[in-house]
Amino acid sequence: MIAALAGTPLLAGALLLLAGRRTGRAAPALGVLVAAAVLALAVAAAVTRPATRFALLPGWPGGTAIDGLSGVLVVTVASVLLAILLFAAGGGYGARFFGLMLLFAGAMLVTVTATDLVLLLMGWEVMGAMSYALIGYEWREAEPVRSADVAFLTTRAADLGLYAAAGFAVAGAHSLALPSLAGAAEPWRGLAAGGIVLAALGKSAQLPFSFWLSRAMIGPSPVSALLHSATMVAAGAYLLLRMHPLLAATGWAGTLVAWVGAVTALVLGAVALAQSDLKQLLAASTCAQIGFMVLGAGAGSVSGGTAQLVAHAAVKSLLFLCAGAWLTALGTRRLDELHGAARRYRLVGAAFGAGALALAGLPPLALWVTKDEVLTAAGDRSPALLAVGLAASVLSAAYSTKALFAVWRGTRTDGAPVPVLARVPLVVLAVAACVLGVLGSRGVADALGIPGGTRVNGLELAVSGALAAVTMVAVRFARTVPAPAWAVDWLFLERAARAGVVRPAFAAARALARFDDRVVDGAVRAVARSGPWAAGLAGRGAELRLDGLVTGVGRGARRLAALARRPQTGLVHTYYAQAAVLLAVLVAVALLAGW
Amino acid sequence: MNENPADVAPELCVLIAAVLGLVNGLFLPRTRQWRVAVICAAGLVAGLAVAAVDATRPDLVVFDAFFVDPITHVTRITVLGATLLVLALAAGPVRDHPRESEHYVLILLSALGAMMLGASSDLLVVVAAYLLASIPAYALAGFGKDAHGTEAALKYYLMGAFLGVVMLAGVTLLYGVGRGTAYGTLRAGLADAPSAAVSAGVVALLAGLLFKAGAVPGQFWVPDVTEGSPPAVAAFVTTVPKIGAFAALLRFGSEALPPGGGWPALVAVISAITMTLGNLAAFGQDNVRRLLAYSTVSQAGYLLVPVAMAGRTDLARTALLFYVAAYAVTNLGAFAAVLATGRDDLAAYTGLLRASPPLGIALVVCLLGFVGTPPTAVFVGKVLMFGAAIDGRYAWLAAVAAINTVASVFYYLRWIVPLFRRPDGALRPARAASAVAVAAALFSLALGIGAGVALTA
Repeated sequence: MIAALAGTPLLAGALLLLAGRRTGRAAPALGVLVAAAVLALAVAAAVTRPATRFALLPGWPGGTAIDGLSGVLVVTVASVLLAILLFAAGGGYGARFFGLMLLFAGAMLVTVTATDLVLLLMGWEVMGAMSYALIGYEWREAEPVRSADVAFLTTRAADLGLYAAAGFAVAGAHSLALPSLAGAAEPWRGLAAGGIVLAALGKSAQLPFSFWLSRAMIGPSPVSALLHSATMVAAGAYLLLRMHPLLAATGWAGTLVAWVGAVTALVLGAVALAQSDLKQLLAASTCAQIGFMVLGAGAGSVSGGTAQLVAHAAVKSLLFLCAGAWLTALGTRRLDELHGAARRYRLVGAAFGAGALALAGLPPLALWVTKDEVLTAAGDRSPALLAVGLAASVLSAAYSTKALFAVWRGTRTDGAPVPVLARVPLVVLAVAACVLGVLGSRGVADALGIPGGTRVNGLELAVSGALAAVTMVAVRFARTVPAPAWAVDWLFLERAARAGVVRPAFAAARALARFDDRVVDGAVRAVARSGPWAAGLAGRGAELRLDGLVTGVGRGARRLAALARRPQTGLVHTYYAQAAVLLAVLVAVALLAGW
Repeated sequence: MNENPADVAPELCVLIAAVLGLVNGLFLPRTRQWRVAVICAAGLVAGLAVAAVDATRPDLVVFDAFFVDPITHVTRITVLGATLLVLALAAGPVRDHPRESEHYVLILLSALGAMMLGASSDLLVVVAAYLLASIPAYALAGFGKDAHGTEAALKYYLMGAFLGVVMLAGVTLLYGVGRGTAYGTLRAGLADAPSAAVSAGVVALLAGLLFKAGAVPGQFWVPDVTEGSPPAVAAFVTTVPKIGAFAALLRFGSEALPPGGGWPALVAVISAITMTLGNLAAFGQDNVRRLLAYSTVSQAGYLLVPVAMAGRTDLARTALLFYVAAYAVTNLGAFAAVLATGRDDLAAYTGLLRASPPLGIALVVCLLGFVGTPPTAVFVGKVLMFGAAIDGRYAWLAAVAAINTVASVFYYLRWIVPLFRRPDGALRPARAASAVAVAAALFSLALGIGAGVALTA
């Protein structure tokens, strides 16, 4: 069942990539069909909850399984995939695009259903590689490829934590199964937790890795929609939610994760508010919203984090698709050039409005409930966390409003029409963005079998809703929204990474290359030079004597050989004489020997 | 006294085949004389079969003149097998020759002499066997009636006559001081005999046996006969009589002499001189038959090592018997290759490996076999020989043999290396001789690899 679920998109994607242009116009239809089949399989799997046990490495049992958490996730991934591929079907993308998207989604499905670290790592790595290919989809231009490099190298560097975690798991728990990690012996448990947290933060674009998400915006909008909603960045959050027992067991890891999530939500909220590019705004808001999920994982609210993940997936894929629709139709993603876009395209505008309001956390839309479930759990842990979280939700209301009014202000008449096929998923996703808040209710979470449910604090809900409404009104009437340089430039994180990591790495590489050239290579050359020198010495000194000895032996043997042929005179009388003498000598020998 | 003729049935088979061959040859037209070869071969095969059956029976003495024991069995089987190969080699060149049947019969009679030599338990029988083995061989050496052949036959005969007379004198002397000629009697009688008389007698007796073995001081005929007589005859006289001679030497050393004499030292000195002389003289040879002749002299030197150790270690008998069989096969293989190419100069063998791969490989196997390269039979023989020397506390002899073995690589390689070069002329090896060479090479490998089986049997 799970093999079919993950295998279908992987196989179909690989075949599409192999077939390439030969599929022609059939590629979009094939992609959508496969996505629909995957959704059906995902729903069936979420209902039947299958589990398969097998050992990828002999002696290290593992496998795949679907429980409450992964059941929700596979359905989410499959739904978002179908919606996005449906949207992209009208966008003129070819077989390579659909193949990569399917492979990417398949890898994500492997990741969320894996129960051991090896399989998880395989899914995780394939997902990373596919993200590289998708961000650099327009590979003929230099900038997308550079951005893909940045994104891939950043996530890949953080991924090393997962490898380290696998090693520590083997050392500490003698098992690669995910549930066994919480029971590992110290210090291996702490080290494994550190590795997993590192990998998850990198994948989720949390601080300090957030900058790669900004660079990833250069990819096509459907790619952004998939990467930033139900997959890739969500994978990090999923891993932290999945490994919550381990985080809780170590003590420090849960607190660390909670604070990283909260701070990311706050700071990247500010970054989002400062952006003047719609996709960059949405990307920063993705970091901020994922920050809430990470906060939930750290604070122990698995159901809250999961609900936030699902609701955010719907909202963010909707918003990215709307941005993509406008980008295609109007040729811009700058907020000040999108004035009137919503009025020009009313359906897209309405859908975007629903998504933006949900993102703002306005009651009773989806994110209002799910975010507050996380915040309630955070408040139980520490009032400071609650305060930071509330501040972050104020910021999210602010940037949502900024985007919302940017597209609804003014009127315009230009622009190409949005295809009908692209409108269908927008409507569906908009509805989902409005109603998915039910996931936040405890009953639903329990029914789905997701642990760690918290009762939502009514007072907190009211405060948060009121804050969102007030902020929206404030932003509506504010003359200007502050946009400090640090926020516009994503906290200079990329520059910092370049200065702090990339340049030292290159400097060290150059230094090592010099060391290699001068010292190692020099030593080798010196050895090579000393060889002939020593050989010359040996040739002048020892060789002559040895050679003389060998020549002497040869000459001696030659002389003896000539001597040995002397008795063979060919004359019988000399034979007789020799034989007689020899026999006499032999008699003497025999006598001497003792007869 | 056991006088059952069935106990010498293999010898009788050969004798009957020889007589039948001779009689048939008288009445057969020249073009049908090949039937004599068939008769002789049948006699040899029958002899082999009987000898193989005999080998499973307990040891005994026949007519007070022959031992039937493991030495006899191995001598018989080796002589019969080797003679069969020689017959196959000789059949081609003498086909339709006016004296074709005589050729086969002479070969058989000489082989019979070799078999008797190895089995005899009495000095007088040894002398008779010596004459039987030698006289047909003289005739064979001059069979071609050409200048070289005649010279070779004459030298062979003169050396044989001289050393034979010396041997007879030795037998007389030993009879005088030992009060008998049977080995058992001699062993008892020589114990308190004057040492000068014994040593003179033993050395004189050795003169004849060493002549047959081709060892110093009876080695003079070997190069001349090998080069001068027809190749098949050369192959025969450097192989078959030697088998009997070494068996007789071993038997005399271990059964006719009282323990504790000068025998080991005497034979060890002869052995060392023989192998060294043979190797050194082979160094500069450009004629492959002369090279092979000296090679057989040096091999005789190695074979004398276990003879010297006779009675000192049980390994001596095993080593000698295995080595002599291995030597016979290898030597016949090398001579067969010479016969197949029909050329005597070393340069003619350039590129043989490409011209005729099976023959080339067979020759390489035989030559490497002479060196003692595993897994050939001579390798096992040499290992046993070294073991016997060290076991008999004659380490210096083992050292001399080892140095000689290393030195011998030189002239064998002088022959092997040109084989791998590009051929410069057309080489058309004779088919039958090539087949014999390949068979001998294969048998040498089989004997080497299956040495464990052969040694336990």
